[in-house]
Amino acid sequence: MSDAPPPVRRWVRPEPGEDWEALAARVFPERELEPAVADLQRWNSHVLLRPPTAPMTTSDILFVEPPGSGESA
Amino acid sequence: MLDLVIRDGLICDGSGRPPFRGSLGIRGRRIVSLGGIREAAEREIDATDRVVSPGFVDPHTHFDAQLAWDGFAQPSLEHGVTTVIPGNCSLSLAPLRAGHRELLGAIFRQIEELPKAAFDAGLEWRWETFEEYVGALRPGLGINVAPLVGHSLLRLWVMGEEARERAATADEVAQMQDVLRASLAAGAIGMSTSWVDVDHEHRPVPCRHALHDELRALCRTLGETGAMLQVVPEFYAADLLCARIDILAELSLECGIPTTFSPLFESLATPSLVGRALERIEKQAARGARVIPQMQTRPIDVSFDLSEPSIPFASKPTWWQVLAGPEQRRLEQLRDPETRAALVAETRNGIDPIALKVDFAQIRVRGVKRPENAGLVGRTLGEIAAERGGDPVEVMIDLSLDEGLKSCFVASDIGHRDSEKIGRRLAHPHVQIGAGDGGAHVSRFATYGDTGRLFGEFVRRRGDLSLEQAVRKLSHEICLAWGIHDRGLLQPGFAADVVVFDPQSIDRGPEEPVRDLPGEAGFRYVRRARGVEHVIVNGAPTYSASGGYSGARAGEIVPRSAPGTL
Repeated sequence: MSDAPPPVRRWVRPEPGEDWEALAARVFPERELEPAVADLQRWNSHVLLRPPTAPMTTSDILFVEPPGSGESA
Repeated sequence: MLDLVIRDGLICDGSGRPPFRGSLGIRGRRIVSLGGIREAAEREIDATDRVVSPGFVDPHTHFDAQLAWDGFAQPSLEHGVTTVIPGNCSLSLAPLRAGHRELLGAIFRQIEELPKAAFDAGLEWRWETFEEYVGALRPGLGINVAPLVGHSLLRLWVMGEEARERAATADEVAQMQDVLRASLAAGAIGMSTSWVDVDHEHRPVPCRHALHDELRALCRTLGETGAMLQVVPEFYAADLLCARIDILAELSLECGIPTTFSPLFESLATPSLVGRALERIEKQAARGARVIPQMQTRPIDVSFDLSEPSIPFASKPTWWQVLAGPEQRRLEQLRDPETRAALVAETRNGIDPIALKVDFAQIRVRGVKRPENAGLVGRTLGEIAAERGGDPVEVMIDLSLDEGLKSCFVASDIGHRDSEKIGRRLAHPHVQIGAGDGGAHVSRFATYGDTGRLFGEFVRRRGDLSLEQAVRKLSHEICLAWGIHDRGLLQPGFAADVVVFDPQSIDRGPEEPVRDLPGEAGFRYVRRARGVEHVIVNGAPTYSASGGYSGARAGEIVPRSAPGTL
């Protein structure tokens, strides 16, 4: 079997109970929280724009880089 | 003596090889001879100038509820479909404890848009386990059913209502694997899950709370028999869809299973989406991964009124909030100038719902309540607005208010509408014909006739596929992918699922409302078949264009079978 192709964009799955802040702190530990959260939200409108009854779940995927930065670029 | 001979037809055997003249002999439930047949038969069908093909398989349906009151899955069978696969998108009707019937019913009706009255009047719950469900279904079947078991149901069974809120423990995952194993042994053809669906309270369906390790464990169980995983992913966004294809590929390779996702739409909002998804699938296929996209043949038409939220308003939060509210509040808000201005503005926000493009000026009035409005039927909101002055959305709101929100509108061709592109995609070797949604969205659009449209539009009119390619796509290819090894080909020993059709006229008819739901639950939209003359299910003539339904109930539960089990 050949190697997996590189992802079109790097992404992560949320851990149970994680919100935007916790996710940003895990994914971007070296960055300031507020801009890191803003970036995550901008890159993941499929989660951000959901109604409050449908928060992020453990089966979601969240991009950790902007569009056009991976293989799709 | 044979039971049935179909004589002198153009045999299109499902393999993809060129058609040839010949006859087909059936004894009992099986095909026994093919070619020049001299043997006499109890019954003969003259197929001169007609195509004789394997019965079609519809891999994405939600007939779960309808099969309880209609074992023929009407009108799918009339279109030549002899096997349907229900239980998609994480939702089946079993295994389900009695205490969860109300909850599951509410979730199912929300996602599949079925009226509660039909569900309540037509469904007699006589099961809890999947084996009991299959046993209850089997006697009434006129069509074959290859049911998926829903991941959300497995979670509800093991975790109760906590399945709607949290990840499972290791012990709970092991229990789910046991229930899945038992369901597969009872006849499930695979398992379905979802990464996008929301329930009646707009909460994620239970399977969306699974950790990936839970899904992997369940896929390992599927892998014990090589059974299918079906998923509905974020089909409307290219990067997301490509990431999901990668996940499916890893599950396929690690667990030794085929996977399928639906739908793959030609998106007006993101024209590059399908091309990128197919490129990704090809890359993963080169590694040995089996990721099968399902594509429908019809463009998207949606009928709606302002009595509840619907697809044209999916990306418009103010609209959604207004339409989801109680009736009195909704009426007040639709009359309120400030809210109206916000609603009009929102239709111009440029954010399109799920890979569709809705131009409100092009929406047509489909039906009205008051006789004085009858002249508006068939006209676009844009035409009426130009005549009256004002905005098309204001016209829609005013007409609805005038008629107690009973006016009906239709947004036609709002996605997946470019036949040139779609024909090319449908012919792609990795693309399976599916995603039809039969049995769901009953008052929004007719989910029937994709088979007829394949022949009418993409074989006959455009020539994107040959006749034999199209037949293979609808039969053998689907059976191969899903592990149905005794159907999908016209060969001695195979199940006698057969369609006789006129290649010059097979197509889908116009969308029309019919009132055949149980419990006087209103209407549903259907499309009747054109050019399909006979449908044989397991050797039993079940439908003919001249005689309608025969009443034969020869349908079976079709489990996955190991290769070479003939």
